[in-house]
This record gives sequence, C-alpha cells and structure tokens, in this order.
Amino acid sequence: MDSILQTNLLSLILFLPTAGAVLLLFFPRDQVGAIRWTAFLISLVPLGLSIYLWTQFDPAQPGYQFVESAPWFSVIGSNYSLGVDGISLPMVLLTTLLTPLAVLFSFSVSDKVKAYMILFLLLETGSLGVFLALDLLIFFVFYEVGLIPMYFLINIWGSANRQYASLKFILYTMTASLGLLLSTQIIGLTLGNFSIPNAAEFWPKLTGSFFGLTAEGLRVAAFWAFVVAFALKVPVWPLHTWLPDAHTEAPTAGSVILAGVLLKLGAYGFLRLVLPLYPVESAQFAPWLAFFALMAIVAGAYASFGQTDFKRLVAYSSINHMGFVVLGVAAAAATRATANAADGIIALNGAVLQMFTHGLSSAGMFLLVGVIYDRTHTRNLEEFGGLFPLAPVFGGILLFTSMGSLGLPGLAGFVSEFMVVRGAWPVFTVFTALAMLGLLMTGAYILKGIYKSIYGPLNQKWVGHHLEISTREVIAIAPLLVLMLVIGVWPAWLVGVINETITRFMAG
Amino acid sequence: MTQTDFIVLLPVLVLAGWALVLLLVDLFVPAGRKALTGWLALVGPAGAVLALTLWPNGGALTGFGGMLAADGFAVFLHLLFLGSAALIILLALTYLPRAGIERGEFYVLLLLTVSGMLLMAQAADLIVVFLALELLSIPLYILAGFARPRLSSEESAMKYFLLGAFASGFFVYGVALTYGAAGSTNLNAIVTAAQTGLVQGAAAAQALPVARSLLVAGAALILVGLGFKVAAVPFHMWTPDVYEGAPSVVTAFMSVGAKAGGFAALLRVFVTAFPGLAPQWASLLAILAALTMIVGNFAALRQGNIKRLLAYSSIAHAGYILMALPAAGSSFAAQSDYAVGSALFYLLAYALTTLGAWAVVMAVERQEGDGLALTDYAGLAARRPGLALAMALFMFSLTGLPPTAGFIAKFSLFRAAIDAGYLWLAIVGVLTSLVSAYYYLRVVVLMFMRPGAAQALARPTLDLAVGVTALATLLIGLLPGPLLDLAQRSVLTLTR
Amino acid sequence: MTIELVLFFLLAVVAIGAAVGMLLSKNAVHSALFLVLNFATVAFFFLFLGAPFIAMVQVTVYAGAIMVLFLFVIMLLGAEQLRQPSTVLPWQPPLTVFLAVVFVGAAWLYFANAGPGSLAAPPPFATAEAAGAFGSPQAVGQTLFQTYVLPFEITSFLLLIGMIGAVVLTRDDKKR
Repeated sequence: MDSILQTNLLSLILFLPTAGAVLLLFFPRDQVGAIRWTAFLISLVPLGLSIYLWTQFDPAQPGYQFVESAPWFSVIGSNYSLGVDGISLPMVLLTTLLTPLAVLFSFSVSDKVKAYMILFLLLETGSLGVFLALDLLIFFVFYEVGLIPMYFLINIWGSANRQYASLKFILYTMTASLGLLLSTQIIGLTLGNFSIPNAAEFWPKLTGSFFGLTAEGLRVAAFWAFVVAFALKVPVWPLHTWLPDAHTEAPTAGSVILAGVLLKLGAYGFLRLVLPLYPVESAQFAPWLAFFALMAIVAGAYASFGQTDFKRLVAYSSINHMGFVVLGVAAAAATRATANAADGIIALNGAVLQMFTHGLSSAGMFLLVGVIYDRTHTRNLEEFGGLFPLAPVFGGILLFTSMGSLGLPGLAGFVSEFMVVRGAWPVFTVFTALAMLGLLMTGAYILKGIYKSIYGPLNQKWVGHHLEISTREVIAIAPLLVLMLVIGVWPAWLVGVINETITRFMAG
Repeated sequence: MTQTDFIVLLPVLVLAGWALVLLLVDLFVPAGRKALTGWLALVGPAGAVLALTLWPNGGALTGFGGMLAADGFAVFLHLLFLGSAALIILLALTYLPRAGIERGEFYVLLLLTVSGMLLMAQAADLIVVFLALELLSIPLYILAGFARPRLSSEESAMKYFLLGAFASGFFVYGVALTYGAAGSTNLNAIVTAAQTGLVQGAAAAQALPVARSLLVAGAALILVGLGFKVAAVPFHMWTPDVYEGAPSVVTAFMSVGAKAGGFAALLRVFVTAFPGLAPQWASLLAILAALTMIVGNFAALRQGNIKRLLAYSSIAHAGYILMALPAAGSSFAAQSDYAVGSALFYLLAYALTTLGAWAVVMAVERQEGDGLALTDYAGLAARRPGLALAMALFMFSLTGLPPTAGFIAKFSLFRAAIDAGYLWLAIVGVLTSLVSAYYYLRVVVLMFMRPGAAQALARPTLDLAVGVTALATLLIGLLPGPLLDLAQRSVLTLTR
Repeated sequence: MTIELVLFFLLAVVAIGAAVGMLLSKNAVHSALFLVLNFATVAFFFLFLGAPFIAMVQVTVYAGAIMVLFLFVIMLLGAEQLRQPSTVLPWQPPLTVFLAVVFVGAAWLYFANAGPGSLAAPPPFATAEAAGAFGSPQAVGQTLFQTYVLPFEITSFLLLIGMIGAVVLTRDDKKR
C-alpha cells in the first residue's frame, strides 16, 4: 500500500473520483440517501490523499515531484505524465477541498441525484487532471473534459434561463480552446512531443521556419491563441460575458465549483503554460495583459455594484477578484529574469495565493447565496432586507465571508490582494493605482450586498419564515471560514510552498 | 490459382460463399422466422476473420499477378468492415421485423456488399477496384429500395442507382485514360510508368513516353467517381435524399461501409499509383476537403430530421478524412504514412460512433419511418437514461470532444495536415468542428433538457450494439495507443 | 490517304450519327435499332484493327444478345413511345449543350497544350506473331481466364446480385 501511495499518488487522487462515479452508476436511483453519502465519502478520499501529498511535498526540491509517466499516444509522442510543484499543489488541495463541500451542500438537491453526483465526481477528475498534467495533450484533454459535466450541471439543475446560459458557456469556452488545440498541435509537431517541461525548455528557443512562418511569428500567434483561451476562462475583460449567465443559472454547488475551481484553470494556464512557454512574448505584451486585468478589476466591480440579483453580484465579483490574479501574472511576465524580479516574485506569489483565497471566499459566497435562495426562492436584493434578526447565524457567516471577500486585513483576501498590489506597484504604477480605485468599488458592492440583505429595514414579508442556515450547511461552509481566517493571520504555510517554486521560476 | 492466390482471396471467398449458402438455406426458413437467417449470417464475418488469420503476420502478400494485396492496410479495413457488418446484422434483427420488411435476402445482399468492400481494400489493380466498387454498390442500390413500396425508399434506391451508375461511368473513363497513358491498370505498374516516364508493356526498344496529361485527366476522373462514393462536395447532392429514404439499417451501413470502401480505394489508388502526380492533385483535394467540411457542417445546421442530419454529418466527416489525402501525397514517406494511418484510425472511430448513433436512431424510430424528427428525442433521458447517455457520447465523439474516439481521430488527422504543411486546412477543420458542435449538441440538449415523450425500443440485440459501440468509443478515446499503433503499422506495408 | 483511313472516317460519321440518333429518337424501338447500328460500326473498327474475334464478339454479344434483350424489355413494358419531354427544368437542355461545348473546348485545349506523347500512337507490336495473336480467341481466352480470372469471377457475382435484386425489388409478397 505504501509503495502505491508513493509511486502512483497523483493517479490515485486523479482517478478516485471517476472510480466513485462508476461505482455510483450501479446504485439504484431511488436510494438517494446512499448515493449522497457514498458520493460524499468518496470525495473525502482524494482530500485525505492530497493532504498527505501536502505533507510529503518538499518545497525546497526543484522541479516536479511525484512524477508519473507512461506512454499514452506514443505515435505522436504524448505521454500520460503527471506531477506537482508549488503552483499546482495548492490548486489540487483547493479542488479536493471544495468538491466534498459542494457535494455535502448538494444534499438538498432531490432531482436526479445519481446523475448529479456522478457529474460532480467527473468534474473533479477533469479539473484535477488539468492541475496535474505535465503533458500538453493531457492538459488539453482534461481542460475540455471538465466542460461537459459543467454543461450538464447548468443545463439540468440550473434555474430558469439555463438553456441559454449553458449553451453560451460551452460555445464560448470551446471556441476559445480551438486556438489552444491548434497551438498545442504546432508545439507537438515542432518539438516532437508534448511534454510541458520539455516545451518550457525548448519552445522559447526554437528558431527556423515552420509552415511558412518564422519561429518568432509562430510563437506570437500561438501566444495569443493560448492567452485568448485562458483569458476567456479566467475570465478577463472583455471575454467575460459568459460568466454572469453561467453563474447565475448554475445550481449553487455548480457555481461553487465554477468559481472556486474552473476559473482557476484559466489562471493556472497562464502560470503553467503562457509564462514558461512564451517568456519573450509575455514580457512584450505584459502591459496589455495588465490593462485587461485593470479593466476586469474596475469593470467587474462596477458591474457588480449595479446588480440587484445577489448571485449575479457575486458572479461579477469573481471577475473583479480574478483580475488581480492576471495583474500579478502580468507583473511577473514583465519582470521575469530582470533586475526587478523581486517585485514580480511578490506579485506572482500574490496571484497564486489569490487563486486559492478567491476559491475559498467565492465558494463561500455562492454557498450563502444558495442558502438564502433555498429559503426564499428569490435572489433579488430588493426583496431582502433586515434579515439578520431572522437568521443570526447565517447573517454572521455572511458578514464574515463578505469581509474575507472584501479583503479585510486579518482575513485571506487581504494578504493575497496586498501582495499582488505590492508586487505590481513598481512595475505598472498607473495601472495598479487605478486598480486600487477599483478596490474601493469592491468595498462598495460588498457592502451593498450585505446592506440589502441582512441590514437595513426588515422586509416584513419574511417574518415568520424559517430562514436560518441548517447544521449541514454550516458544516459545509465551516472549513472555508477556518481557512480564510488561518491564511489571513498565518499565510506562511501556504506561501512557503508557493514561493520556492515561483522564486526558481522567476530567476529565469 | 496458386496457394498464395487462394489465401489472399480467402476472406472474400468465405464471405461471398457463405452468402450463396445463405441464399439457399433461406429458402427453407419459414417466413416468420427470418431472424434465423440473420443469426446464421453472422457466421460469414466470423469466418472471414478466421480466414484473415492465415495471412502472414506483418508481411504483405500479393495474389492474382499483383491484382490483390494482402497487407496491413487491408487487414485493418477488413476488421473494420467485418465488425461493422456484424453490428449491422445485430441491428437488422430487430429493425427489419419492426419495419415490416423482414426478408432473408437482406442478409445475403449485406454479405455480398461487404465482400465488395473487402475487395476494395485489397484491390491493387484498377479493374479490380472498379469491379469491387460495383460489387459494393449494386447490393446497396437494392437494399436502399428494400422498404418498397414505400415511395421514399424507392426514390432513394433510384437516385442512388442513377447517380452511382453515373459515378461509375466517370470512374471507368478515368481507368481507361490511365490505362492509355500508363499501359497498365496495375497500380504498381502505373507508379513505375509515372516514375520512369515510360509506358508499361511496350518493348524496351520502342519505349514510349507517358502521356502525363492523360494520366492527370485519368486521375481526376477516378477522383470524381470515388468522390461520389464517399459523398465529397461537390458530388454529395444525392446523400441526404438517399439516406433519408433508405431503411435506417441500410443507411447506417451505407454511411459507414460505402464511405470506408470509397476511402480505401482513394487512399490506395492515390497514394500507391499517383504519388508522382501529388503536386497536381494534392492542392485540389485540399480544396475539396475544405469545401466538403464547410458545406456538410453548415447544411447540417438547418436539419430537423435525424437521418438528414446524420447524412450531412457524414458529408462533413468525409471532408475531414479527405484532409488526409493531400497530406498523404507528401513526398516524405513518414508524413505520408502517418496521414494514411490517421485516415484509417479516423475511419474506425467514425464507423464505431456512427453505427452507435444509427443504432439509437433505430431504437427511437417507430414503424413506417415515424419518430425521426429531432423533436422525437425530447425527454429521452428521462425514459431511457442509458440510451440517451450513449447517444450523447456519440454526439460528443462526432463533434470531436475529448475523451472520446472522435477527439483522438480528429487530433491525429489535424496533425497529419499541419505536418504536411496544410495549416490552413487544419484551421478550417477546427472551425467547422465548432460549427458542428452546435447541431450535435442540439440533439443532446433535446434528449436531456426538453420535456417530451420520447420512446425507444428495448431489445437485447439493439442494446448490445449500442453498448458495444459506446464502450468502444469511450475506450478508444481513453486508451488510443494500441489501435493507433496498429493503424500506423498497417500503412507501412501498403504496396509501394 | 489510304483506303482504310477513308473507310474509318466514313464509319466514324456513321457511328456518331447512330449514337446521336439513338439519343434523339422519340421511339424507343428506333433508339434500340440505332444502338445496334452503332455497335455494328464499332465491330468494323475492331476488324480494321486486326481483331476479327473481338469484332465477332461485339456483334454477337452486344448487337445480338443484349439488344434482343433490350427490345424484348421495351416491347414487354409497352414503352415504345416516349412521353413528351418533361418541362420541369426548361433551362436544362440549353445548359447541357453549353457545358458540352465548354467541356470539348477544355479537353481540346488541355490535350493540345499537353507535353510530348500526349496523343501518341499506341505501342506497336514487337513481332508479327504478336500482332497476329492479338485479339485471337486463344489470346482473349488466356487473358480472360488466366490473367483476369479474378475480375471475371467477380463479374459473375455482379450478375448474380443483379438477379437477386430484380427478384427482391419486383416480387409481390403475399401479404401485400
């Protein structure tokens, strides 16, 4: 047992959810209770394994760890190879953490429970595969595989406008990934294989002429194809329009995974592929990236403030928060292997940390919106008001999570956003300054959300309704609150892991 | 006939011979129990597979003075044809009685058309290619009209026959011109003629220069003839009407077998016999491929009938496979071999997925051609979740989404095109795949999202066919290695 | 100009005239007879080429057996008189003529501008014996039943399939 844990740990983490999904297939569909609990318990196993992975991971060791490799598609040089480093490890932990919570929260789903749980487990495999892949083709396959369960989750269990939202979601993301596919092909063809470490080493140095283009021209074209694909997933303004629809219509747990994990796939693509594979191009176009990030921060915040739908408000807040990730990436791209690398290191650390903390806070916010929607069947902020006395525990948790999302010092969001801003300031001073104005708007929309829901005059309509959060839901959200607080006061355990990898990377 | 000739021909002999036996046996099978003939028909493909084992492993044989080849290319396609035939027989066992057209001749004709396909994959002489083409086509013309006196079925048979005969005319004319230019109909002799520039068959003292223009014209006419068979634009007009009118089980086989047969001939003829002319035909074929992908996919967008939708989808897929041909015309052997291997793999993935999709169509189809509108699929997931899931998988595979066989096949094919310098063709392929996502996903949306009273037949043989194809589609998508290797090795022994 | 060439052109005119007559004739029996004439002139061409056996086969098989079948079918179906030409596609006939002219022009241009050997004479026979043996019953038999035995056998299958098809597509089932 110990040896399998050592040699195939990543495969175990990756495919246990799929195995669980296959197992669920054999359950009779009316055994709802058994299906729910089985799905939950199965999803706890990868979490346990990834915690074990965390303890076994040695940050100081360069390169990828727990590497596994087997020929998969040998004719064209694609291997099934997995590995983790300080960037992917937190993402694996985040994914394996959010899935059981989402499953636990979804116990309230009563329609087609079996299919729902199976899709969730498959979604977990899809996302984990992206974070673990060390092969471009494997990366792409998992990147696409994640789409299908999400499409069904929105389309079957979503709310009123789900048809439109799910179609928009899948068409947008598929369109964007076509360029990714072609560029992946080109990299595979020119280098002879799809290995990511290999591509990071040789692809930037490629010279000569291919398919009638110079290597430089090819790289620029492929760079933009990668950027568009990942920017759409993050999403970066102006490619964000699918997100509010998808989020608003998705079932609560779907939104949790969408915001907590799937958006990270895009940001992770920037970190794992765009920066290492295109150092020259990303440095050259870093100001553009920073500009788009700024637009995402500001536009996301303003749009969020303008919403009356609580869930849409939270959805737009994701665009705002993910903007900081991209800003950090842009700062790192501009300073990599230069004298200012130290600033880039801070910014990139902040970006990775922001990915993690946004995963926590947005997941929490969506859970809470889901709770209140469950009770009131409305998400319209105008119909709430003064609910605190009716649901004091819920109100307290909402307040806490909102503050975490807002970036209150002492909670997780503050640390990461501060690091991004601190790192990006010397690199893109004007953009960062403007982004901080956007931060002001962040405060405004969060406060609006809280004010309209739990404070303000009590809407008499809800008197006598039971609005309080249930124990199961509290259990589902509690780990998020704890982590937000822990990272807020003691981020070192996480940053320590991230930092080593990033420092090595930024040295060039 | 030497022993080698016999071994080379054995799979075809077994199949065609069994068809004759079946014709006789069927006389003694009472009218209500024709399923017995169907079960007996399964012996044919099984026997042919056994006969294949007599072929040398890895090497290549030729028989009948170089007219037939027994190489890896043929083995791969034989397995494809025989497997498809077995699945079609399984499907016919439930489809024919329900459509009220259960007759023993169906199985006989099916086995005969399959023997034509086998010959097509083996043919190394243009005369044999032509006869195999006819052996493949004529039973299909008859089968298309099998639902007689339903008018649409008769119309389908008539259209298919007239246009098919027309296409055969082009083909024969092309063969004649090629023979006139090269002095031989043997593919190897033609390639020698093209390389040395000397007409074959003439005495050395009176060496004649090859009429290159005649050879090009011949190749172009052969392309037209085969283009009809694989339904490539602009020779695709017959496809939707014929597919819609023919009984579904026949359409299913047409869309898989006839297409694969056509591509077998295209690949072997163009890669073996006309590599010297590649500069002339490669760019032309690339344009045809692009047009086929564009027309097929865009026309499919507007279809409301599942059979017409799959017909246009089959045109579109012909376009994807055609991408391999210009790449196969590359002067680098490695690129060319890879392209042919990718085309073979694509044919396999396409065959499995399409057969599965047609099996679902047959399950949903009610008597008298009813239940073929897309709206008849609304709510299928609620009643038959397994069937709907399988159909969704087929649709994903046809779109080319991972982790299905369709993705690997498309990926491999695009790579072949890019590798040979047809980046623009790969871009067209990727963009049209996106277009195709719209109409394939519409079926999925209908099945899973829309309320409706979709009904589907449940029969063990039908479920078996759906299950086998779905499992294979998924498995090949997850673990493509062995089959892809096989497809790639299959090419190396293609007669050169 | 030899006598052979004069005869050739004479017969060529007859052959083409007969083919056109077959197409344009309104009476199916006349069409069939025009076709017989066409086949017969083609048989003469084979004679000129020094292949009397093939010429005879042409006469017996095509002009004889097949045309008898044709006439038989025409009379059996009572399809002597063609219906009025349909006017569903009135633009079709002029378009056909136009495209035919374009095709001939294109073919002419293509072959006129093609490289050496494009319209060269066929390879002459190496010896007088070979020339004499060409198209003899023995040569045809050997080619057909030795070199091309496989295509020959496939053809037999095609005929069988044609018979099955005719039965399948015309048989009246009892229940109908």
